[in-house]
This record gives sequence, C-alpha cells and structure tokens, in this order.
Amino acid sequence: MIVFCGAAAARGAAAQTAGAEAGRFDVSGGVSWIGQTSIGASDAGETTPSNGSLRIFSTSSDLGAAPAVDLRVGVRLARAIGVEAEAAYGRPELRVAVSGDIENAAPTTAVEKIQEYMIGGAVVWRVPGVQRPRLAPFVAVGGGYLRQLHDRALLAQTGRYYTLGGGVAYLLASRSGWLKATGVRVDARAVVRRDGVAFAPGSHAAPSVGASLFVRF
Amino acid sequence: MRRRASVALLLALVVAQANPALAYLKFGTTVGGRQVTLKWSQMPVRYFVTNVSVPGVSADDFQAAVGRAFATWHAVETASISYQLGGATNAAPGRDDGLSTLGFVSRPDLDRVLASTSFLVDAATGALVESDIFFNAAFPWSVASGGEANRFDLESIALHEIGHFSGLGHSALGETELRAGGGRTVLAAEAVMFPIAFAPGSTAGRRLKADDIAGISDLYPAGGAQALGSISGRVTKNGAGIFGAHVVAFDPATGSMVANFTLNANGQFSIGGLSPGPRIVRVEPLDDADLDGFFDPSRQVDLDFRVAFPDRVVIVPRGGDSGEIAIAVVAK
Repeated sequence: MIVFCGAAAARGAAAQTAGAEAGRFDVSGGVSWIGQTSIGASDAGETTPSNGSLRIFSTSSDLGAAPAVDLRVGVRLARAIGVEAEAAYGRPELRVAVSGDIENAAPTTAVEKIQEYMIGGAVVWRVPGVQRPRLAPFVAVGGGYLRQLHDRALLAQTGRYYTLGGGVAYLLASRSGWLKATGVRVDARAVVRRDGVAFAPGSHAAPSVGASLFVRF
Repeated sequence: MRRRASVALLLALVVAQANPALAYLKFGTTVGGRQVTLKWSQMPVRYFVTNVSVPGVSADDFQAAVGRAFATWHAVETASISYQLGGATNAAPGRDDGLSTLGFVSRPDLDRVLASTSFLVDAATGALVESDIFFNAAFPWSVASGGEANRFDLESIALHEIGHFSGLGHSALGETELRAGGGRTVLAAEAVMFPIAFAPGSTAGRRLKADDIAGISDLYPAGGAQALGSISGRVTKNGAGIFGAHVVAFDPATGSMVANFTLNANGQFSIGGLSPGPRIVRVEPLDDADLDGFFDPSRQVDLDFRVAFPDRVVIVPRGGDSGEIAIAVVAK
C-alpha cells in the first residue's frame, strides 16, 4: 500500500525554505497502516424444489488491517505539481467468518495471511496558500497494479488499486550540494482495491495512514 | 466375459454401488486385482432410444427430453465427453446387445425406483461396453417446459441418470427430511447427482451444479480443465483417520459448493475439478440419505462426529493441489 506522496510534492511554494525550493527528485521510504475492508458476504445454499435456496451456512469476508512498507521516487514537474512512482508490500489477513450453520456448527473464522504488492503512481498537488516555511500540505491521487499472493504463493490474484488523500511534508534540514533536503511526511488516504482477493464485485475501500522519511536531490 | 451392474435413482431409497476412488465417487470395477474406473474411452458415446411412450410423454417427447439432458452434460466446457444419438430401437434397455439404450419400462414392483442405469463391462479389461437407462413407466412423467403438478420431470431425471451413464456416482450435497410414511423428501440439493429426486412437478434438477461439473471434468478432463485445481487432505478423529466423512469446498466468490468423501481408512480425501481460488472447507457426517447410496454396505462409515470448519482458508492453485489439509473432528 502506498500512503506517502513523493517528496516532489513538497516543494515550490514561495514561502518555503531555500532547501525545500531546491531539488527536483525525491526518494522516500516508510511504513503505513491500511485498515480493514469488507470484501463480500455470501451464503452456501442448496437449490430447493421450487428453485429457491436453502442456506447451509453464511460467510462474511474481509481483508484485515495490516502494516506495509513503502518506497517512492518522485519528480517535480511544476511549481506545485509532482508525480511519483510507488511500490508497497504488506501482509494482510484474509478472514472469512462462518456462521449460521444449518447443523449448528460453532461459528468460526478461517484465516489466511496473504502477500500484497502495490505498484503504481500518483499525482501530487501542493495546496497553494497554505504552505509554511517547513510545512507543505498536499493532496494526492493515484493508482496502479495490485498483486496478491496466497499461501506459499500457490495462487496469485491481481487487480487494481486507487488512492485519494493528502498529508503534510515537513522539512527537517536543507543544505547545498547534491543532497538538497531531508524530511518526514505523514499521509492519510483512502485506498480502494478493485478485483484481486475479493468475493464481491466492485471496489473495496479502506482507510490508510502512514509516515516516511524522504531525501531530496 | 461380461458382467452387469446397476444404479438406480429412487424416490427415497438408494441402491447405488459406487466404488470409491480418490476424487469423486466414480463407478469402478476390479480387473486382475486392480480397480479400474468405469468410463467411456471413445467419443462420441452413441446412445439409442426406444419408441415406447407413456401417458404425457410420446416417443418423440422422450427423445427430445433425453437429447436436452445429454446436451447439458456435453456443454460442460471443462469436460471432453460427447454423445450422439444413434437412432431408435425396439430393444428394451437392459438387454446385453452392445447398444446403450434409454427407454421406458414398466416396473410397478420397483415402487421407489424412478429410473436406473446399468452397465455392461468387459470383465477382462474393465472396458465399458454398454450402459442402459430405464425410466419406470409405473410413475407419472412430464416433459412440460415448466413442469407439471404430480408428475416427475423427465429431463431432470434423465440428467441424473446420464451422469451415471457417464461414470459418476452419487453426490451427498443435499438435505432431506424423513417422511411420515417412510422414505425421505428432498428439501434442497446442490448436485444433480444427489441420489434422491425432487418432488413431482419440480424442474429444479435440469441444471448442472458446480459439483456435477467438477465431477465430469475430473472424469473426462478437457483442455480447459488443465487450469483447474484440487484440494486434498485428511480428516481425523482422536488422531485416527475416518472413512466416509463428507468434505465440502465452498467458494465464497461464487457461492458454489463441490464435495467428496474421505475414501480410505486414513481419512484421506481429494476434491478435483475446482476453479482456482480460496475455499472454505466444511466436514460433516453423511446423514441425508442411506449410506448404501454411496458406499458398499461392507464399509464402515463414521457418522459420530460434529460438523467442523477448519480455521484456515484453503487455496486451490491453478492446475495444482492445495497440499494436504489436516482436519480434526470431535465425536458428537
């Protein structure tokens, strides 16, 4: 999961420091947390003589909340606009809660830990008028390729993801030379997964927050 | 030397003789001490229909309804079996004439047998020579598109029997309740190959279910079946394997169920013909039909355990097996 904008977004405002103004490329890495999301509910049913359905048991499924690690490379395109490439890796749990068994089996939750990769990009816009010398609020929208590997990589399921959110970048230090600046960022985003591990059609949204360190060149 | 065996679709009592093999209840025969799965080796499988009619079903109606049922099995994309109408015959089903024949025969003595499929097998090679299906004319039949009250739907029953004709045994994916006068009433079924028929008037048995499709794809895999996978594992109670546990694989994405049994004393099972993806597995004792509808009466089927769900999601890989899933159950 990608929760941090590339540092390209964190530059360019007139009020920013020289360190923030300088530099065109950013590399950042950090950790994030993606919240739980429901991925569908379905009944195990059998066909009745009238073509109805008799429920044998019910299931409700979600992808659990999980941390992820992220890596991003950003480039500034204009004063307030940047783009970034991003990759993230996490290990959320696929959880299927089983209940309502026709023969009164005890409710249970079947669990599997999956490996999740997100590879994509984002466009980052520094919000004009709210920039401070070291603080740069931004909004970002992005998306990309989603790959989820099941137990022992027995099966890969793929899809897409989209992100929408914002955050702030804070400059810790700026200097002359090839390394222009370092800083931290925090992000809050909505992450929308489409396809991949899902038991219901459509998109499945989850909240996400994260923090990262960036260096600017 | 040839020998004949039969399996019947009954109103409430079943006398199937499926020989269990890993991966579905298939019919088999023993040749030279080894078990051979009963299946057709040459396609298309030719069949003949008799020109016997019964009230409500003319000979032409019969041929058309049976043809639709054959076409339904033939349409399974992941299975390679195909059928061809050879023509009409005056020979009744059950004669050892080398022709696979379907037709009505009046057997009022078989008052719980709607239809029955028999096989003629070359005892030396295990090759399937002939398979006949008789439909009991002592019952009221219908070919009406929407079904007909108090009459059994011929196409539904033919679909089940053609499953046997093709080599499939019974599925236990169904729920029944005991009738006051004896026998059982089907509340619901999720397999055409469930051994007890829906009540008269119902046409719900005209569509193959995931379990039927998986079974025929496992028996006659087509090109597309290479992408299918399987789940295998072992069911134990107090550390020992149990025989005859019904294991159901549920697909939360499609709502479909495919099932099989533990088929040896080690409690091992295998469910093939599954599309790739996560599954929820449920294990239950067989309790919705008579045991001899599924197993040889000499086998000791364990019925004394509680329904259980393993606490892990089981993954069906593309073209492979899940790896052994260990499921422990406890006595009731």
